[in-house]
Amino acid sequence: MDEAALTRLRDWLAAAQGDPSLRSANARKLSGGAIQQNWALDVETIGGPQRWVLRTDSAAVLAVSLPRTAEYALLRAAWAAGVTVPEPLYLCADARVIGAPFFVMRRVEGTALGPRVVKDSALGGGREQLAQALGRELACIHRIRPPRADLGFLGDPPADAGRAAISTLRGRLDDAGTPRPVIEWGLRAAERRAPPPVPPVLVHNDFRTGNLMLDASGVTGVLDWEFAAWGDGHADLGWLCAKCWRFGNVAQEAGGLGPRAALYEGYAAESGAPVEDARVRWWELMAHLRWAVIAADQAQRHLSGEERSLELALTGHIVPELEWEILAMADAP
Amino acid sequence: MLERPDGPDLLATAREVLLKELLPALPPERAFAARMVANAMAIAAREAQADLSALAPRDLAVLARAIREGRHDPGTPTHDAVRAWLGDYARLRASVSAPKALG
Repeated sequence: MDEAALTRLRDWLAAAQGDPSLRSANARKLSGGAIQQNWALDVETIGGPQRWVLRTDSAAVLAVSLPRTAEYALLRAAWAAGVTVPEPLYLCADARVIGAPFFVMRRVEGTALGPRVVKDSALGGGREQLAQALGRELACIHRIRPPRADLGFLGDPPADAGRAAISTLRGRLDDAGTPRPVIEWGLRAAERRAPPPVPPVLVHNDFRTGNLMLDASGVTGVLDWEFAAWGDGHADLGWLCAKCWRFGNVAQEAGGLGPRAALYEGYAAESGAPVEDARVRWWELMAHLRWAVIAADQAQRHLSGEERSLELALTGHIVPELEWEILAMADAP
Repeated sequence: MLERPDGPDLLATAREVLLKELLPALPPERAFAARMVANAMAIAAREAQADLSALAPRDLAVLARAIREGRHDPGTPTHDAVRAWLGDYARLRASVSAPKALG
């Protein structure tokens, strides 16, 4: 953001907050993803200093991710459902203010960085307690169910979320045009043993280590809602538990952070129903397949020249190890 | 003959310099990029030395389609051979891209 954009932003925030004295003390870009940008805003208001985060789109936007306006509505729904998320404050759909729509939320403290959090066994009150807390967060998210007028942009829930996910991944493989027989092998195995559909709930779809802000006491914020959709809640448990998202700490099956049993306990206590372990395992196979397809697509953005990037290039080299795991998982009965 | 040291040797030697001499001198926020460069050099060196002749060639598009259509499912006559080939194929690729994953 240049000076002119920052001035327009200040004016907009002052009006939104109803505080003409509002002053922006500092705005700095946080290490962001390929899809969106996050800015830390330190703001002086009549009620005292505020620490906010502004979230907006990067130039290169993944077609499959939701726009900021939708993400803001999801945050509000999650906040109301008791999920630990940064409090959503303001949405600006007008691209003229800073060049793209954005929203502002309260900044939460903690650390999310995968390689760091899996090494800290004291985080979140210890591994058992942390895994239970993650289970409770997911159960709260899954209490959000269709139909919801405020989440109308999510469309109608799929009749069978598992089979719909298989079909989506096949479509993405076809669009990419690179034959990937190992991924096909995994998708076919998943298709043969797909569990029957369950009533749809809100699925976060990226609830994993790296997107979970944590501190010594527990979860301080569930972040990155841009892939949320109606579906099978077990998909979130499977994505979190998938070996490819444990950041090397494979013994702690809940995201490298804590035991799987504690995750299930927390989930069952909050939701009132036990976790179907076999269904979670099925979604863990799907998690590897989905991550493999995403990684291949990211490398393609580099290969096509759309966005030359060493990080995207190296992401493509994750695909073979995912395929190696997919074969082992597809063999399992 | 081309001059030696060859590409993999140069990549390995340059990578040592990067990790042992340059990385410690970099500001912390640049360490991630340096590690990515080191990783890319390691992959490129392994790729140059990979033995592709160990894998019987197959038409990947034909194979992918047949798998999707269930023509190599468990119980079919071709299942075991296809599974074995896919294992070799994935192992070869992972041995270049991420050999640690093979254990």
